[in-house]
Amino acid sequence: MILFNYFAAAALFCLGLYAVITRRNLIKIVLGLSLMESSTYLLMVSLAYRSGSTAPLLVNPPKGQTPSSLVHGNVADPVLQNFCLTAVIIGVAVTGVFLTVVVRIAQHYNSIDADDIRAMRG
Amino acid sequence: MARADLHRPKLGLLLVAAVATCLGAAVFTLPRDGAPLPAVARYAMEVAIPKWHTTEPVNEIVYGTRGFDTFGETFLLLAAVVGVVVISRSKERRRTVLLEDVLASEEQLGLRGGRARGGQKSPESAAAEQEERADDSAGPPREPHSRVGSREPERATAMTVVVRGGIRAVAPVLAVAGIYLAAWGYSPGGGFPAGAVLTGVVLLAYVAYGHRAVSRIVRRNTLENLEMLGAAAIIGLEVAGLVLKGSFSANVLPLGQVQTIRSGGLLQAFSASELIEVSTGLTLVIFAFLSMGSDWTEEESHDDEHGRGR
Repeated sequence: MILFNYFAAAALFCLGLYAVITRRNLIKIVLGLSLMESSTYLLMVSLAYRSGSTAPLLVNPPKGQTPSSLVHGNVADPVLQNFCLTAVIIGVAVTGVFLTVVVRIAQHYNSIDADDIRAMRG
Repeated sequence: MARADLHRPKLGLLLVAAVATCLGAAVFTLPRDGAPLPAVARYAMEVAIPKWHTTEPVNEIVYGTRGFDTFGETFLLLAAVVGVVVISRSKERRRTVLLEDVLASEEQLGLRGGRARGGQKSPESAAAEQEERADDSAGPPREPHSRVGSREPERATAMTVVVRGGIRAVAPVLAVAGIYLAAWGYSPGGGFPAGAVLTGVVLLAYVAYGHRAVSRIVRRNTLENLEMLGAAAIIGLEVAGLVLKGSFSANVLPLGQVQTIRSGGLLQAFSASELIEVSTGLTLVIFAFLSMGSDWTEEESHDDEHGRGR
């Protein structure tokens, strides 16, 4: 049933993309980008999942298992958890950059409508 | 004229449908929940205890096996923070003489015969400075004609005693929990989530006591220096491996006993530096963002003269 998670991540990505393409409001465009970003977190965590597995943690292993048996046993993928951890923090900082630019645009043009930002056009 | 909120929705829908078809097809090729673990994941778990004395493979991957990747991401974060800080800078008072270049070239050509010497300003320069001074002393920060958003974040005052009391009780516990996440590196946690928790504590204090009270304690200069210190520590730790062991990100610190706070060696030091980097970086981003608000464009005509070309 993990396929459902993959489809949910793809749907979330498309929803974000639709917002980025069709919205004029810059805040909504940033929200769309954040949504696309979140879809990758869902995809990575879903890819890390293994049915019936335990956490990739060698301290206090489940009953009947030792750390060394866990190393070769059925555990979730720790590499994708690593990607997710770092991506969340970078995502927050990058969203901060987008929003700061939006605030500056709002201050300069008195508008957050992408159609009003025309200084660079021809 | 009122505009539709959506811009070319049908074309957008068509493009998104095309992307969705590609993603839908790709989903079927992804490994399912019964697939074997990739070799790098198995390797990280195999070396976690013998090589690093840690029982937390995720931390071993973040700061050990894929340490170079984390190193790059740290500087991506730093670049984003620097970007926000630079873009959000408020207007600074001019410190040089206006039209200095014009005066200098005239003086060099001998046109003024030393009139500008001895601290005397030319009429053009004096007039320009007077105009700017009038601009600066025009009272409170300029308001736009039609305001976009409100200025509540800057003017926010403290919340009720219930909220302040609640947050005063919770904030120290959260701060300790955040530091615990990084310090007890052999169990789930590490510098990244710990830094985010500490930023959350600062945000809680902002919510409870308002921007003015918190900005007296959370000083931008101190945070910037701490952030640079964290970045320097990360560079030092990673390069030390290259110099002493011939491999970037190799462990150069003594490994403590398994399941103690010194057990990870370099992992723990990297994680602690990352805690400083992430917590100060995110706090800087959020406070830079909240402090933006006094640089509103004055009016369209002024804008056309000076603003558009900037």
